[in-house]
Amino acid sequence: MSMTGLKGRGYAGRVLHLDLPRCERRCEELREEEAKLFLGGKGLGAHILYRDLKPGVDPLSPRNMLIFATSPLTGTVAPTANRFCVVTKSPLTGTFLDSHCGGPFGVGLKEAGLDALVIGGAADELSILVIEDGEVELRDAHGLKGMTTLDAEREVKRSLGEDCQVACIGPAGERGAPIAGVFSGMRAAGRGGAGAVMGSKGLKAIAARGRERVGVYDQEAFTRASWIAHRMIRMHEVTARHLPQHGSDNILETINETGALPTRNFQAGTFESASEISGAEWRRELWARDTACGRCPIACSKVAVVKDGPYRVEFTDGPDYESIWSLGALCGVGAKDAIAKANELCDLYGIDTISVGNIVAYVMECYERGLLKEGDVDGLEAKFGSREAMVALVDKISKGAGVGGRLQNGVKRISEGLYAEKGDGAFLRLALHVKGMELPGYDPRAAQGMGLGYATSDRGGCHLRGYTAGQELLGYSGGANPHGTEGKAKLVIDRQNEKAVVDSSGLCFYAFFAQTLKEVRMLVDAATGLGYGSSKNLERVGERVYNLTRLFNLREGFTSRDDTLPERLLREPMRAGPAKGLVVNLEPMLKEYYQLRGWDEAGVPTRSKLNELGLA
Amino acid sequence: MGLGQEMRLNRIFDPNDGRAVAVAADHGLMLGPISGVQELGKTLEKVIEGRPDAILLSPGQAEDLCHLFMGRRAPSLLVRIDWTNAFRDRTYTLPVRETFFSSIATPRDALRLGAHAAVVYLFIGHEDERQEARHLALVSRYAAECEEAGLPLIVEPIPFGPRVTKSNYSELVATAVRIAVEAGANALKVPYTGDPESFRDVVRASAGTPILVLGGYRALSRRDLLDVIAETLGVGGSGVVFGRNVVQASDPASVLRDIRAVVHEGRSVREVVAGGALSKTTRLRVYAERCSGCQVCTAVCSFTHEGVHDGSASRLRIEGEWPGPFKPVTCTQCERCVAACERKALSRSSLGHIDWEAERCNLCGKCAEACPFRVVAIHDSKVKICDLCRGAPECVEWCSKNALGAIA
Repeated sequence: MSMTGLKGRGYAGRVLHLDLPRCERRCEELREEEAKLFLGGKGLGAHILYRDLKPGVDPLSPRNMLIFATSPLTGTVAPTANRFCVVTKSPLTGTFLDSHCGGPFGVGLKEAGLDALVIGGAADELSILVIEDGEVELRDAHGLKGMTTLDAEREVKRSLGEDCQVACIGPAGERGAPIAGVFSGMRAAGRGGAGAVMGSKGLKAIAARGRERVGVYDQEAFTRASWIAHRMIRMHEVTARHLPQHGSDNILETINETGALPTRNFQAGTFESASEISGAEWRRELWARDTACGRCPIACSKVAVVKDGPYRVEFTDGPDYESIWSLGALCGVGAKDAIAKANELCDLYGIDTISVGNIVAYVMECYERGLLKEGDVDGLEAKFGSREAMVALVDKISKGAGVGGRLQNGVKRISEGLYAEKGDGAFLRLALHVKGMELPGYDPRAAQGMGLGYATSDRGGCHLRGYTAGQELLGYSGGANPHGTEGKAKLVIDRQNEKAVVDSSGLCFYAFFAQTLKEVRMLVDAATGLGYGSSKNLERVGERVYNLTRLFNLREGFTSRDDTLPERLLREPMRAGPAKGLVVNLEPMLKEYYQLRGWDEAGVPTRSKLNELGLA
Repeated sequence: MGLGQEMRLNRIFDPNDGRAVAVAADHGLMLGPISGVQELGKTLEKVIEGRPDAILLSPGQAEDLCHLFMGRRAPSLLVRIDWTNAFRDRTYTLPVRETFFSSIATPRDALRLGAHAAVVYLFIGHEDERQEARHLALVSRYAAECEEAGLPLIVEPIPFGPRVTKSNYSELVATAVRIAVEAGANALKVPYTGDPESFRDVVRASAGTPILVLGGYRALSRRDLLDVIAETLGVGGSGVVFGRNVVQASDPASVLRDIRAVVHEGRSVREVVAGGALSKTTRLRVYAERCSGCQVCTAVCSFTHEGVHDGSASRLRIEGEWPGPFKPVTCTQCERCVAACERKALSRSSLGHIDWEAERCNLCGKCAEACPFRVVAIHDSKVKICDLCRGAPECVEWCSKNALGAIA
């Protein structure tokens, strides 16, 4: 059976290694055993990165590797199966990084005959990498220098043809800002600085096209499995009603009611203007249209338009919940037009909205506490709630202008720099990040599991690894007591493993609100013929991948001491709201987490666990 | 089961096939005046035109609307004799804080109203397990009283509560079904587990007690609705009790006719969906303003026709890119390709689609040139042309935004 190879079974069957600047190429056949162990996407990327990257390299040096990985379902008719991920060593955190994107570039890579593209070295000049049916060419991109993501993608398509699919970076990526993302079809692989790594390789854009088609192992079974998966999405209230109507922002008011909406740099868990920025309000006032990533029946994505006023926006994608929260509540801003404007700047210049909102909020708190003066922030009156200051700061960070040159480096570096200069420990205490990654929109004091999730996420402070907020705050899947720690270690582990499967399958996390691993297993088996047979076996892939990224981070020098949270969340009790008086009770959860993971007390996977997972 | 119970059950389940199509219209009791139940009498008149085997009502409505259940061809009457506040989620003015159940009528009351069966809930998954015990005691009492009254008891076993998760859901349905059977249920009203594989386990757990699948709040498309029914019948289900999908439909009778076609007449979903819709004049209809640009239609088109995912092999395309607008461009059956073909390889069939005969074709490409919408092409030595999937166009079926439709 295995003799037939993987081509035509969801996979393209090969990985292309490319060494810049001379474009030396090496093709690697993807082996069936590897595919079964790591599936694709995150798993495949982690496998290659752990195997091929030398420990300790500077993420922005030519020795780092930039991997674009697709999955066996990418490009198929399975719901939301459009995704690719960028895997690299993060310049923001120094950890493993996988950043996912629903744009069309992944399908382009597949059609060009590649499951993954691995880029080492760096081009001498700003370039476009063109991949056509597996052939590779580096073209001069000086004409694109400084171009926004939207213009760059349009220009590449104009010059190379509408049928090619593009991944590109904005000016922030060119500058090497460690909060820069990779963009495709105005969707972003936003978090962790993959755009800076791409910029450091001298790549403004990558264009891919080809004549390979995505086939599957068993057409009838795959049609059936896809139909059922689509139908479940059409039938589930979250994916059929909440997300289509009010985007991912449908949850904002609920998160506020539970006291978990981080406000004014995590000083509070409720925001007085939450109802102003709820999904319903965006729908009523700013959203002009719904758009979907490829093959997605949900269409959570919206297009916002601000017709007049100081923050006119012709079109901006979303904003989604995280962007609305970070540029809004976290900065104390309840003005939708200003949030839309800031969101547009982030997308066009190519930076992560979550990190940017955190940076602005950090500056605002330092300013309000008198730690920073107007002179330190280009004369801005950087008070919480000032939409003018928020947009001005986002503008500066996007462009790297003025104080933006410093702020674009992320909260961790900003705070360490200020502490080194001014010697006040408050600069460090007010910095909200885990391993250097700024925190997302769920205050873990009001959702303890999220705290453990942030502390143990393989890419730093991220909600999309152990997403327990569904159970803890939104009542999904039976719910869980948000303030308790009991059972949270298991919950976090289950979510992390599941998410690693989803991220390796080519599907979107949102499809998973309506589905379980059972449906993913049916899709994967019908597409690949890899014969996982049960969702338990597929979950094993997720566990394997999560252990592998752990090994990567340990090899890079991270220890259990880094599996922690900012001081504010561990020591400052929530002042008001449903979680009043609570801090994150991390220690017992973390201890139990290591135990259940099969890791020793130092958070190192035990030999027997690695043997069990085939990672020894 | 007593004789009276058996006789009455036979009024609900068609003795020819042992299956039933029932309509639930007791929502007002649990949810208040939701749409469709405001003027219940008028709605039910339309429902009855579709010839349901039975209708489920609260005791009050059963009394008010008794005239609908008189006469030989009238549907059977099912009466709900318990009540719960469990369904009042946070979208209601008074969301539930603690779940309660009450008995609101006895089996004898139901019998007096002319009922052919009584219906009650059985929830498992409560935070407080004493609730479950109390609930089971209530159901067991109903079972005893029903037996005494000669009235069949239909139990609705539902996993509900904080301990129910996505991954344990189908297992809990099977467990709840078994508990209900052991407690004395004569028939069951059961939520669908989402896929036929796990529903088979539910049917096994019922040990021969007939299972009717319920619809839930979901607004299902006609095909989704019929598909769920066909899947449950395929693994041993005995029919449906659908509520909002029927009473809130613009034409409840036509929904019921389609359901009956699948449940009682053994017709395939594809046949029912396609049947009647396609004719010599069938066309695809585009509602561009609803399109989100997701390309599911183009993917499923190429996958259905060519077995691979290849946009260029699709018989339709989506125009427009971010930020939209998007516009599906489809074949309109304008027949210019037919007219342009000198070898008569193309013709319009009685089902409305363009037929391509390979033996007559020399792949000259004149059809493609003639297509004003550029959706006809020569692809891999074949004429790539929309055949309306010879019945139920897949692009229409898979479009979750209803941006595509088929009109006769």
